[in-house]
Amino acid sequence: MTLSQPTGKPIQAELRGMSRRKLLRAATIAAGAVAVGGLGGPTNLFAQQSEVPGDEKLLPSFTGPSQNPYWNSVGPVVQYPQKAALVLLTDRPVQLETPRHYFESAFTPNEAFYVRWHLDEIPNSVDLATWRLSIEGAVDRPLKFSMSDLSSKFKPVSVAAVNQCSGNSRSKFQPRVPGGQWGHGAMGNAKWTGAPLRELLEAAKIKPDALLVQFQGLDQGKGPEGHGSHEFLKSLDLKNPVLDDCLVAYAMNDQPLPMLNGFPVRLIVPGYFATYWMKGLSWIRVLDKPDENFWMKTGYRVPDTPRGNTTPDDVKAGNVRTVPISRMPVRSFIVSPDGAAKLVAQLPLTIRGIAFSGYGPVNKMDISLDDGKSWTAAELGEDHGPYSFRTWTHRWTPPKPGRYVLAARATDGKGNVQPDDGVWNPGGYLWNRIERQEVVVGRSS
Amino acid sequence: MRAQVKRTTIWFIAFLVALAAVAGSLVYAQFDAGYYSERNPGAIAQPAPRKETDGAIYGVTAYPLYPPELAAGPGREEVESYCSTCHSTRYITMQPPLPPETWTAEVNKMVKVMGQPIPEDVQPVIIKYLQMHYAVETRKP
Repeated sequence: MTLSQPTGKPIQAELRGMSRRKLLRAATIAAGAVAVGGLGGPTNLFAQQSEVPGDEKLLPSFTGPSQNPYWNSVGPVVQYPQKAALVLLTDRPVQLETPRHYFESAFTPNEAFYVRWHLDEIPNSVDLATWRLSIEGAVDRPLKFSMSDLSSKFKPVSVAAVNQCSGNSRSKFQPRVPGGQWGHGAMGNAKWTGAPLRELLEAAKIKPDALLVQFQGLDQGKGPEGHGSHEFLKSLDLKNPVLDDCLVAYAMNDQPLPMLNGFPVRLIVPGYFATYWMKGLSWIRVLDKPDENFWMKTGYRVPDTPRGNTTPDDVKAGNVRTVPISRMPVRSFIVSPDGAAKLVAQLPLTIRGIAFSGYGPVNKMDISLDDGKSWTAAELGEDHGPYSFRTWTHRWTPPKPGRYVLAARATDGKGNVQPDDGVWNPGGYLWNRIERQEVVVGRSS
Repeated sequence: MRAQVKRTTIWFIAFLVALAAVAGSLVYAQFDAGYYSERNPGAIAQPAPRKETDGAIYGVTAYPLYPPELAAGPGREEVESYCSTCHSTRYITMQPPLPPETWTAEVNKMVKVMGQPIPEDVQPVIIKYLQMHYAVETRKP
């Protein structure tokens, strides 16, 4: 890692810091003695009441075998082109997680949006003079679109939609499973603008015996051809109604896409996990037979059970039938307070969070201040559409000092309620349990 | 008489100074200040911007690498050479401590499913290294 060393004279600085602190302590103790002896003031105003400042420990470099106890994953914070400081999972291919505080707003800033690539050869630059989006395969009229074709020949359509990695929160699994050890920050919400996928497909005239539409982006791997390590391909059934909502997006929050989030265009699949949202989308291939590639046949599959739940024993016994992952179950998060600072008894504050569901809008949000024993309705923020983050708030005055466990529970338009137990499957997918935040409340005098 | 006044004034000023010191100390005693540490989590140098033209090429600067330090021991070189073809070894250090059989399964997956040509005599060396340093019983902070 490239780290710059602190300059200056550390030992002197340390001594200066120490002596100043010691002086203050000495003055305080002297003042206390004078006050007790001479002025008769109450002793509890003085130094012995002041608490020890936070210790200087850093996060561990990994978590497990128990659950990751932190909201985000524990990697170092790093700087990538067009990006704010994000949490590093891996550097090649690049995987970066969004820090928690960015979720205070309904739209995640482009520079903070998480990054997840599958193959190590990802674009550093794209020449729009030669780049084209091809539609090929089982079509009567193969087509190639330039960036200006996409933005001028089709009426721009916008949708606010959550993009969430299938493995978001994988580090919460028990027992732990291998894979990207995401905390909760492998998600983001943006306003995506682009050309409707259906219109592009209609222009190319799909042949009647076609079954699937397959997507490929600009990333490539060094593995041998025909393997998942060489190319990343995803496909959707042509009969899947989600295709009617899909966009080929050239704008993200009204800006061109950051290179790491899929410049020049990205597929938007509202309600679906991000594995289908192909970055650097350059080939749309209509297939007339099933897609046997690794990323459909082996990867990104979930048990065909309620919530995609199974057990290690059932997996070992080979009893688990799987299906490709699809829509995102309902989730919600407490964003603030985040437990990093104490709260003050009797001083009101706002609890803030977000909620979303791939099955429709979140229309009910409950908050618990007693670890899920009792629930009250939180106030929902502005509605940006069924596939967007919905912010929520709840005003709270901590009644007295102590430890409190806050919990958040969302209900979506289909009546799905977040459950209060985890899920387990070998891929580490579909985590959507009720999330909690412990807070410490201190005395106010 | 004059000397008397002078002495009283001096005592009065001395009393004020003492009072101010006590009052000042009282204020300081209510919070911690000036708490700095030489132990820092590191800083990241800022990258310089690209030089651009008004042509159709859109690009960004190089993506930085953050290679981790793998545990020392037999097999490390084999891991660094064979496991780095397609991905950084952060894929290893990022994992939670895993059961030994999971590491066997991961290496087998890379060979059989992902097509990485690791020679047959090297595969057990890599598996043993991962189990020796990155398994539930063996992983060190």
